[in-house]
Amino acid sequence: MNFEYSEKEEKFRTEVRDWLKDTLPKYLSEKVKKHQRLTKEDYELFMNNLSKKGWIAWHWPEEYGGTGWNAIEKHIFEEEIVKASAPRIVPFGVNMLGPVLIEFGSEEQKAYYLPRILNNEDWWAQGYSEPGAGSDLASLKTTAIDKGDHYLVNGQKTWTTLGHHADKIFCLVKTDINVKPQLGISFLLIDMDSPGVEVKPIITLDGEHEVNEVWFTDVKVPKKNLVGKENEGWTYAKYLLTFERTGIAGVPNSKSALNHLKMVSRKSMKNGKPLIDDPMFSSEIAELEIDLLAMEIFNLRTVSAAAEGKAPGMESSLLKIKGTLVRQKTTELLRKALGPQALPYLPEQFDEGWNEMPIGPEYAGPIAKQYFNMRKISIYGGSNEIQKNIVAKASFGL
Amino acid sequence: MDFSLSEERKMLQETIARFFENNYNDIKKRTEYLNMNDGFSKKFWKESSNLGVISGLISPSFGGLGGSGEDISIIFELIGKSLCIEPFLSSGLLSSTILSSIKNPKTELINKIIDGDLLVSFAHMEMNNRYEDHFVESKAFFENENWKLNGCKSFVINGDSADKVIISARIEGEINDKNGIGLFLVDNNQINNRSYNTIDGYRAAELNFNNLNAELLCKDDLALECIIKANSAGALALSAEAVGIMQVCFDLTLDYLKTRKQFGKSIGAFQSIQHRMVDMMLEIEQVRSAVMLASSTFETNSSTRDKNISAAKNLVGRVGKLIAEESIQLHGGIAMTWEYSVAHYAKRLIMIDHLMGDADYHRDRFKLISST
Repeated sequence: MNFEYSEKEEKFRTEVRDWLKDTLPKYLSEKVKKHQRLTKEDYELFMNNLSKKGWIAWHWPEEYGGTGWNAIEKHIFEEEIVKASAPRIVPFGVNMLGPVLIEFGSEEQKAYYLPRILNNEDWWAQGYSEPGAGSDLASLKTTAIDKGDHYLVNGQKTWTTLGHHADKIFCLVKTDINVKPQLGISFLLIDMDSPGVEVKPIITLDGEHEVNEVWFTDVKVPKKNLVGKENEGWTYAKYLLTFERTGIAGVPNSKSALNHLKMVSRKSMKNGKPLIDDPMFSSEIAELEIDLLAMEIFNLRTVSAAAEGKAPGMESSLLKIKGTLVRQKTTELLRKALGPQALPYLPEQFDEGWNEMPIGPEYAGPIAKQYFNMRKISIYGGSNEIQKNIVAKASFGL
Repeated sequence: MDFSLSEERKMLQETIARFFENNYNDIKKRTEYLNMNDGFSKKFWKESSNLGVISGLISPSFGGLGGSGEDISIIFELIGKSLCIEPFLSSGLLSSTILSSIKNPKTELINKIIDGDLLVSFAHMEMNNRYEDHFVESKAFFENENWKLNGCKSFVINGDSADKVIISARIEGEINDKNGIGLFLVDNNQINNRSYNTIDGYRAAELNFNNLNAELLCKDDLALECIIKANSAGALALSAEAVGIMQVCFDLTLDYLKTRKQFGKSIGAFQSIQHRMVDMMLEIEQVRSAVMLASSTFETNSSTRDKNISAAKNLVGRVGKLIAEESIQLHGGIAMTWEYSVAHYAKRLIMIDHLMGDADYHRDRFKLISST
């Protein structure tokens, strides 16, 4: 065992860092730092840069345009983009659909969609959850009826992240309603500009618009848009979810939030002294740091095993649970550190170009909002309760 | 010992409950009120006054009809249940507490507050004084027979629409001296204010003043005593409000667990979910008990009063987090939406821990009072 980064890995880190320094515009990293609202163009700018560099598809095999990085290099890359305050890589095309197409797509689909994903030509959305199918995803109700050369799709998807920007959506649909739910699901690719597709915003508790409802009314979808075999979509859906869950540990984000927490605790005052000098509060920070330190190694162990060809199994569920709890704890301590400074809420502060005086320190503005927003991470991507079910079922033999 | 309410108080409780339910029947109503000019509904405020809600917070010695710890708790628990944003705390409780605790009580002003015709805010907090009673940086000085104030006050609830403001300012000494503080009454129209909404839907303001003409209400020991009394009354009221909120969160969650079906049954049928609901129920009863104790000792000597209030507010901070987070988690995605009320209850419940001392502050204060 050796927990030091090798010289080669450190060199790689420097390469990523220098590249980010050269290509990431200052205005964009500032927006990310200030938690300002990102436009579609903001996301695309960063992703286009990655595409040009050949770094966009770092989860893909090299022959399809992937980077060929090992688990450690991927980890370093993720850490550096968070450290540089780059926008997040919109995962739906490149990190979710891409691996599914590579594994299960037809040659024609691969030839058409994969290069488009590599060049960010399509903005993909994920059509999984429905109002009646959340934790129990297999109970979904959206139907796709076989009409010869096309399917006729009717139903509703929900919690569609950034769906208002999307050109295309991959959906789980019911193609057979007379069998056990998991056996009648298919994986379908749908153009968002097809007649009968409607996107409606969902405003979240922090007043923001990030997620949507997507409605389908008699939407015609060509047969060639079916991925893999009809009624075998559940297998592909689960395959995709394992990719969704590895990223969800969010180690780099928690690390950066922890540093932010230390900075805020040095500036916040309690009894005329910096809050970080308060033994009770600094102990809470220390315990959080210990959790994170252990989780980083746990995460590296898991990604290394995955790199050796072992599909991430229940470890990704465990990491999802712990990862979300640690991330939420950082937002909680940040909120606590502010004291009454957490109260003011200026929605206009999150608009690009806002240049009024903030209320109190500039860092205070987004903190309470972030705390409430981060409640979502233990709900989405398979709630933590569902992850526990998965682990218990897979590993205890009870 | 008798843990039940008197007939009179039960009637008060029922009347106010009905009135609140009729006027705050859903979260859209609240959003409508908070988008009004003053950040609340003046009509509702006046009607509350007519019904005796404000006078219920004030002692008969000053023209009110209540003012005991029990009265305050009953009313604020109902405020929590409906998530009212009117100035019950700022004007109805904090300011009237100070105006009635000084050497020559301002009964006339208190009567106007009771009638809903006068709004007085209490401006004590400053940007960096966190929750401390005696950290005051704003300055007061006496010049040409007049008191003048210089400084800034932060997070002043209803500080934009108040007619008058009570400001704490330092007459002498260092920022953290317990002595040398004065409480002053000023007209709000002389103050530069910047108003904003808080994340839990209240209207607040930053106040900036320079050579502001002020009337001295009290100073030194009495001023500090008044600040502590107001902050303690506020902490008790917020604790009671939290009990009301927690109960609503619990009820909404239980209701959802019964109706939401996944895996072919209601999600409440899963034992692991039931156990979490039991934990919530248990902790809410703990908070309710601590708040009952704190309200029953509200009129006793200040150390018993403050020790019990700190116990209640500390529990509110800890349990409030549990209830807010579990209510959202057990609901799932629906609780993340603006449209569904539980999110608004959860936000208020969490932010109550950022007013009048958080769980850590009250834990430390409890330790301090217990050891002396």
